[in-house]
Amino acid sequence: MRLYFRLAWRNMWRHTRRTFIIVVAMGLGLALMMFYDGIVAGFNQAIYGNAIKVLGGNIQVHAEGYRLKADRMPLLPLTDAQAVVDAASADPRVESATRRINTGGLASSVEGAFAVGITGIEPEQEQTVNLAAQHVIAGRYLKADDGDVIFIGKGLAEAMGVGVGDRIALSGRSKHEQMRRRTMTVIGIYDLGMAEIEKRTIYISLAEAQDLYNLTGQSTEVAIVLRMLGQESVVIEALKPKLPGYEVESWETNFPELQSALGTKGGVMNIFSVIILMIAGIGILNLLLMAVYERTREIGLLGALGFRPSQISLIFVLEGTMIGLVGVVVGIGIGLLINGMLMRVGLDYSQFGNITTYMALIEGRIYPGWGVDKLASRALTVAIISALAALIPAREAAHNEPAKALHFV
Amino acid sequence: MIQLFKMALRDLGRNRRRSFFSSLALGMGLALLLLMASFIKGEMGSAIDLTIRLQSGHLQVRANSYDEVKTSLKWEDLVEDPDQVASQIAALEPVKFATPRLFASGIVAVRDESAGVRIFGIDPLSEANAPYRDGLVSGQFLTSDDREGILIGAPLAERLDLKVGDVATLSVNTSNGDVDEQAFAIRGIYSTQTNGFDSFTVFLPLAKAQTITQAGNHASTILVMLKDIDQTQAVFNALQSSKLKVITWEEMNALILQTEEFAAAYMVVLYLIVLAITATVIMNTLIMAVFERTREIGILAALGMKGRRITAMFLAESSMLAVGGIILGLVLGSLVVAYLTRFGFYIGNMGISGMLIGNTIYPDLTVEDTVTLSITALVVTLLAGLYPAILAARMEPVEALRGGK
Repeated sequence: MRLYFRLAWRNMWRHTRRTFIIVVAMGLGLALMMFYDGIVAGFNQAIYGNAIKVLGGNIQVHAEGYRLKADRMPLLPLTDAQAVVDAASADPRVESATRRINTGGLASSVEGAFAVGITGIEPEQEQTVNLAAQHVIAGRYLKADDGDVIFIGKGLAEAMGVGVGDRIALSGRSKHEQMRRRTMTVIGIYDLGMAEIEKRTIYISLAEAQDLYNLTGQSTEVAIVLRMLGQESVVIEALKPKLPGYEVESWETNFPELQSALGTKGGVMNIFSVIILMIAGIGILNLLLMAVYERTREIGLLGALGFRPSQISLIFVLEGTMIGLVGVVVGIGIGLLINGMLMRVGLDYSQFGNITTYMALIEGRIYPGWGVDKLASRALTVAIISALAALIPAREAAHNEPAKALHFV
Repeated sequence: MIQLFKMALRDLGRNRRRSFFSSLALGMGLALLLLMASFIKGEMGSAIDLTIRLQSGHLQVRANSYDEVKTSLKWEDLVEDPDQVASQIAALEPVKFATPRLFASGIVAVRDESAGVRIFGIDPLSEANAPYRDGLVSGQFLTSDDREGILIGAPLAERLDLKVGDVATLSVNTSNGDVDEQAFAIRGIYSTQTNGFDSFTVFLPLAKAQTITQAGNHASTILVMLKDIDQTQAVFNALQSSKLKVITWEEMNALILQTEEFAAAYMVVLYLIVLAITATVIMNTLIMAVFERTREIGILAALGMKGRRITAMFLAESSMLAVGGIILGLVLGSLVVAYLTRFGFYIGNMGISGMLIGNTIYPDLTVEDTVTLSITALVVTLLAGLYPAILAARMEPVEALRGGK
């Protein structure tokens, strides 16, 4: 086998310029994929960081059946929230686990009305991990025994024209009942620098939420903050067996549309990149056709020496694949260069904050990643396409009659 | 000149398969570019069309202080006596119709579940409702004197598990800053095939909407549709008055136009890469052709053919490759685009709510894009052919004659 590799490798570099050009073509194809992967990674990263901040945790635990209805924010109380908190807190990787109530509502003042997410929190327990608590710009953060007061974002305060001490009406539905409406006083205003998100998130104390939504002593979510980012899946796996009957999930579940959007775009991009690689594959095909023609005598010689047609084919298929793989190496170089440059500049997405809920989580610029996470499968695609492109010339080579080929001038 | 092309054509014919594959590479590249361009045009064009039809109209007339983001219902932010204003506008010649609309924010709640929505108070008789009326999936459209019925979108109905005849509680903000609620029956369920609109929009008859929001005889806006979109500016000028402000669809759709620009910039990167790859493939084929014909080139040169003419001959060859490739690309591209135009490309729910994009995208291939991309492909191919052509012209006749096999 090593012999074939050596032969193919040597053949490949007999016409350096030719090979080099095709290698560049393949490399550009791969670089394009890396560019895309890099942007997706940057996009995810930008959303990830802020989603955790806004959602109040890397991991959320909900009652069974919540996932299906996640976009409706159902008031599904946890069977035993304290047990969940205890189980999570026992894990050394967990920084904090706090109870919450999440629901939707309508905040209105004379200026207008906004559909908002209302989050009941345990103020003391979240003090150190809640970003809103750390970015109070007016008034104060919540206290456990606060009643009839809310803690809102700067974006909402500005849009509604309210300040600390002003009153706004808050409506939301309660468990087993009609809508609940209450006028509340703004106690404090936080600023996360994401106006769109601030418009959608208001905080009240857990006790107040329990009272307002008829959930005495209950909560709908346990938000878990980890000490380190990136350990979500490990901790989720560790917690799941301890918490049967609960849904333990990472932040992504809260944005089902994001997954579907990335899925569709990724699918389209995969088709595009395969077509682009096929174009480069035609380059390999042409190059090898030429090579087969040029090396007619050599092929005849190999045939005369006893190489079987399949073995001769193999040499050419290997040559094509190797060109593809060298292309991968060049492509990684180009891709890293492009992504490296973009990382320094960043891409401005800020104007699209209004389009979707998840886009609102992007503040300012996106900094792409290196785009190397999917490299293995991308490289495999390149190798397969290169090998396929080499098939026609390889068959051609194998069909040469040794005696005739030797006489070929 | 004709002779050059004749020679070039014969040269290409000497290795038909290779020439075909080179053209095919260019053709595939061009087809891909055509598809991408038509996709963006289709997506953005339909986004603008949809928004005009479903939401913004060609023009809107609002009170000076009205702020769309806040959906304020204060009387001073609203248009007073909207029916009269609307009929005055409708009297203008280029106006197709003008209809008052009242917007409010609210929550639809059923059992333990709820969803935030926008409430559109509409005049049920107006032609402007055609997209919703035609999109009725089940039930009836609203009638003007209906006091207890609402029309909701199919995705919302599905999310909250509502059917025609079911009752849901609707909470709505009112002009005094409070929130009022009432139980409504679902009269009908509509679908405009636009998730970002259908999931969040609930219709009420204007009169009922005015009552529940305590807006009196006011509307948020007068929606104006024109017979011809090109008349926008003329009507805009005609409607100017001190009391009300007029907004054109261009202003209301600024975000879409911005997104289109952004997408176009992103596409340029893709174009460049695709074209660069195509160019290298063609360049390589021609370089091989030059080396294959070293002796011939030597003979041509020995016979007195000038370097410039040899260059021209190879350029003629690459331009013919390009033409072949462009034809292939146009055929391939229009086949794929035709297929997708017919069946659409389903993008599903991407959660896009700030911009109206249909659930299915139909690509739109414009003549302008086709011509621009074809010319670009031609130019890139000629540029790619330049290097091999110069290479051929630089050969020394004597050495070239001895070279080759």
